Amino acid sequence: MSPSVPSDLGYVPPDGGWGWAVVFGASISVGFAYTFPKAFTIYFKELQAVYSISYSQIAWITSIMCATTYGGGPISSILVNRYGSRPVVIFGGLLCGIGMVSAAFCTSILQLYICVGFITGFGLALNLQPSVIIIGKYFLKKRPIANGLAMAGSPVMLCTLAPLNQFLFDNFGWRGSFLILGAILLNCCVAGALFRPIGPATASVKTQMAEEGKGALKEEVTEDAMEMSSPTNVPMENKTEEEGGKDCCEKINQYLDFSLFKHRGFLIYLIGNVLMFLGFFAPIVFLAPYAKHIGIDEYSAAFLLSILAIVDMIARPTTGIIANSKWVRPRIQYFFSFSIAFNGTCHLLCPLASGYTGLVVYSIFFGLAFGMVCAMLFETLMDLVGAARFTSAVGLVTIAECCTILLGPPIGGTLIDTFGDYKYMFIKCGAVMVLAGTFLFIMNYYNYHMLAKEEKERKDHAGVGTRQGEMQYSSKTFN
Amino acid sequence: MPAAFSGNRLRLLLCLSLSFSLSGGSPADPTMTTQDVNKSQANFLTKMQAGLNESSPEHMMATQTVNQQTQGSPSDHLTLGHNISTPGVSGTSVEKNITLDRGTRIELSCRLDNKYSHLKSLQVTWKRGNETVRHINKTETSWSIQLRISDNSKLGSYSCTVKGEEEISAIFHLQVPKIEGKEKPIVSYEGDTAVMICKSFGYTPIAWTWYMTNGSEQIAINDTLLANKYVIHRISANVTHMKILKLTKEDNGVYWCEAAFELGKSKGKLKLKVLSFMVPLKPFLAIVAEVVILVTIIFLYEMYSKKKEKSAEAEKEFDQIEQLKSEESNGLENSSARHRKI
Repeated sequence: MSPSVPSDLGYVPPDGGWGWAVVFGASISVGFAYTFPKAFTIYFKELQAVYSISYSQIAWITSIMCATTYGGGPISSILVNRYGSRPVVIFGGLLCGIGMVSAAFCTSILQLYICVGFITGFGLALNLQPSVIIIGKYFLKKRPIANGLAMAGSPVMLCTLAPLNQFLFDNFGWRGSFLILGAILLNCCVAGALFRPIGPATASVKTQMAEEGKGALKEEVTEDAMEMSSPTNVPMENKTEEEGGKDCCEKINQYLDFSLFKHRGFLIYLIGNVLMFLGFFAPIVFLAPYAKHIGIDEYSAAFLLSILAIVDMIARPTTGIIANSKWVRPRIQYFFSFSIAFNGTCHLLCPLASGYTGLVVYSIFFGLAFGMVCAMLFETLMDLVGAARFTSAVGLVTIAECCTILLGPPIGGTLIDTFGDYKYMFIKCGAVMVLAGTFLFIMNYYNYHMLAKEEKERKDHAGVGTRQGEMQYSSKTFN
Repeated sequence: MPAAFSGNRLRLLLCLSLSFSLSGGSPADPTMTTQDVNKSQANFLTKMQAGLNESSPEHMMATQTVNQQTQGSPSDHLTLGHNISTPGVSGTSVEKNITLDRGTRIELSCRLDNKYSHLKSLQVTWKRGNETVRHINKTETSWSIQLRISDNSKLGSYSCTVKGEEEISAIFHLQVPKIEGKEKPIVSYEGDTAVMICKSFGYTPIAWTWYMTNGSEQIAINDTLLANKYVIHRISANVTHMKILKLTKEDNGVYWCEAAFELGKSKGKLKLKVLSFMVPLKPFLAIVAEVVILVTIIFLYEMYSKKKEKSAEAEKEFDQIEQLKSEESNGLENSSARHRKI
């Protein structure tokens, strides 16, 4: 059903088998990374009382956590480039556990900022990026489905973490809960253990690796594939030592590929996404307060978020399956732009929703749109830059998005406070997202056009003379 | 809220004579008066309609209103409409809770809905418990009493009973504001600090007192005496905090926060649970053990499947080498055969 997509990894990804275990592990990691800050807000009231501080001071904890999770992206990428996904995720899980356990013994809010905000946040960063990266290494033909399933871990985890947190808090108080949460976060190490390293060595040259060790890989692996997984980095290191005196920029490039900034597709994605995140999270943050504002009681308002999470849970894998179909996969960028614009339209129509039924309908559509966008968030980036350079790409993208993700809700809050009305916040979010969707649509049309042109030119050149044994690179790895 | 407050104030000032006054306490203090007015606005006028489904074709509709004013046009009243229908049994009553925190004069009136103003020969009695209270005002469709609530003894339940073909009554419960404690127990640990919060909604108490329960007795907590154990802090007019330092197992139990109003006292209940660190440690260790076991299983499985692959590959190689050897030997034979032929 899925079309054949050229691989730039240097090997053929298994597209199944152990890959599904990797998807399961990735969904756990991704779930923790995205939902932990949200589920943590249950402790705010108690912490406010214990430390006698205001709400904005306590909200800094989750802001620091989110900022560190997204800002730690490049560091995550560098570590994965050097060591591979598995050790990084296991280390990240340990870090999260240590952070929360030490938070259980904190005596001041500053210590909480450090333990919960920085340490746990950084641990989650070391979980998020490698999980997404390793999916690109295990899947190619079924990659959208794998991505959709992995991202579906987020709403599932939210539905379990939120009541679990409440249960822990009622029975163990906040200190005991932090201790137990630390243990729960250690499960990220289990997810990491599932991330078996894979690369050209393990996929095609198994016998050599079994007998002669890693030294033999040098001959098998071509230059372009060198940027990838751990077994190949060792020969690469040897090479650089041999040549010696390499340029500083090139050295940084092998850890974090800054040449991506010359990549047309990457720049389009970056600008579009940075714009989109300005209006992405604010509506979720303000949905419950908006419902209470128009007179709905607290439990029904909380139920709206549950509806959103359930629809989200179903939408993500479904979007993955749709994106994998032969009609959509070649034009997946259009599908992505459409879902962003759809999301924006939902927000623009929200102020027209009156009463509880209207908000339920809005929640359903919002959940659908949110799930669609999230499922394809990393798939489209992989599609544009290719799985080989994805490692660095994801790090650079997350640190750029970090700013707008953090700015989005406060700007929405300021709009609400200035105008006293929630509709301006929805209009702002909707407008920003429709703009981002349209921008991505137009620019990707141009990008597809240019790629087709370059492909044609290369075929003409290649037709003139072909060397034997030359690998055909996917057009997507070049500008 | 501030907008509503000034709106009400304005409305009342424009209106007719006010039929209440503060009892005792301080002399007319403008802020207090308007504040008091605002308070009374809260339970100012609530119209309730009680509809009874009866077998007889006639329906008696009784409305009760709490008036802080004598006659006034409906537009001057703040009305919240409630519809309660009590089907079937006659003699059932409609109830209303009114919260008062300071002394005031209050007028309670039972009014018959205009639809039934044609009904005659109705007997209306106002009662508090068993004693009858005299009407003050009586019109064709409404009967009201005026009360001067000055202290706790005057609070209680007042009822108006309309006797016609059937008997309907409406009851007003006059009470002090309720304080909310916490339903779920507050969980804390030995050596840690626990913070207990009590809030009063809408009404400002004169004073707060905290009690702890010793067996069946309630003992007041003196924070000046035990300053290194208890810290009581009034955060704002309506909120009080009590911090209990250096918790021990003996601090387990029920605590009460009591708010004193002019007309009486009101209590809120809080429970404190003090746990030792062993309690969360058990689930923690259980989960850590689970993680370690799972990681070990995964790594062992990986080593096992790699070994299997290695041996499978080795076997394949061996077979391949054997095949090559046999091909070679066949080839040699053939070539030697050819040589021989030639």
